[in-house]
Amino acid sequence: MMRALAIGGFLTALILFGVVEWMARREGSRIPTLGEVCAYVMRYEVGPVPVGRIGLFGFWWWLGWHFLAR
Amino acid sequence: MEQPHDLTVEAPRAWDRPAVSVPVLVCLSLVGGRFASFSTEANLFTLGTGGVLIWLGLSNRVPRRPAPRRLGAGAAWWAVPVVVFGVFEGVTFVLAAGDDFPTFSRLADPLLEDQLTRSAAWFAWLAAFWGLVRR
Repeated sequence: MMRALAIGGFLTALILFGVVEWMARREGSRIPTLGEVCAYVMRYEVGPVPVGRIGLFGFWWWLGWHFLAR
Repeated sequence: MEQPHDLTVEAPRAWDRPAVSVPVLVCLSLVGGRFASFSTEANLFTLGTGGVLIWLGLSNRVPRRPAPRRLGAGAAWWAVPVVVFGVFEGVTFVLAAGDDFPTFSRLADPLLEDQLTRSAAWFAWLAAFWGLVRR
């Protein structure tokens, strides 16, 4: 029962990611795509240090290492 | 005759086209899919491919798409899937009930044991990484 709840919850989240991306790609949508949100985050800099790029690259690398190497 | 600057378009580099980048990513994914979890090869391959992509992304060697200067209120919609995922990941992680109430990682592990699924996951990871580098 609890296992089905967890699977259902994660599936719901993944489907919601797809639905919001689909809504963002419609003509005239005011919702930015996930790529645009990432690009905006990556613009963040502290002085000359691209903190946003480093943070997002670090997170994405860790995700791949966690699932594909660990 | 010299062209006005705003009428010229920079031709995409050969390796920057999908016809080149997609087959390269597919080859890397097929190699990565052969390495089992916890193996030295998998760790080195993740470090190598990720390291090269991070280096490309932090240098100015790859042309980037223009980023939006601001996000509208519609960006708040992204909080919905993030919160749903975060709540389930947080609760399953804190309760640590194993297979009875598994985390996302624990659910994904058996799926990633299959070589084809693993290669597909490698492709998704690398393709998204390449997309981030181009942003």
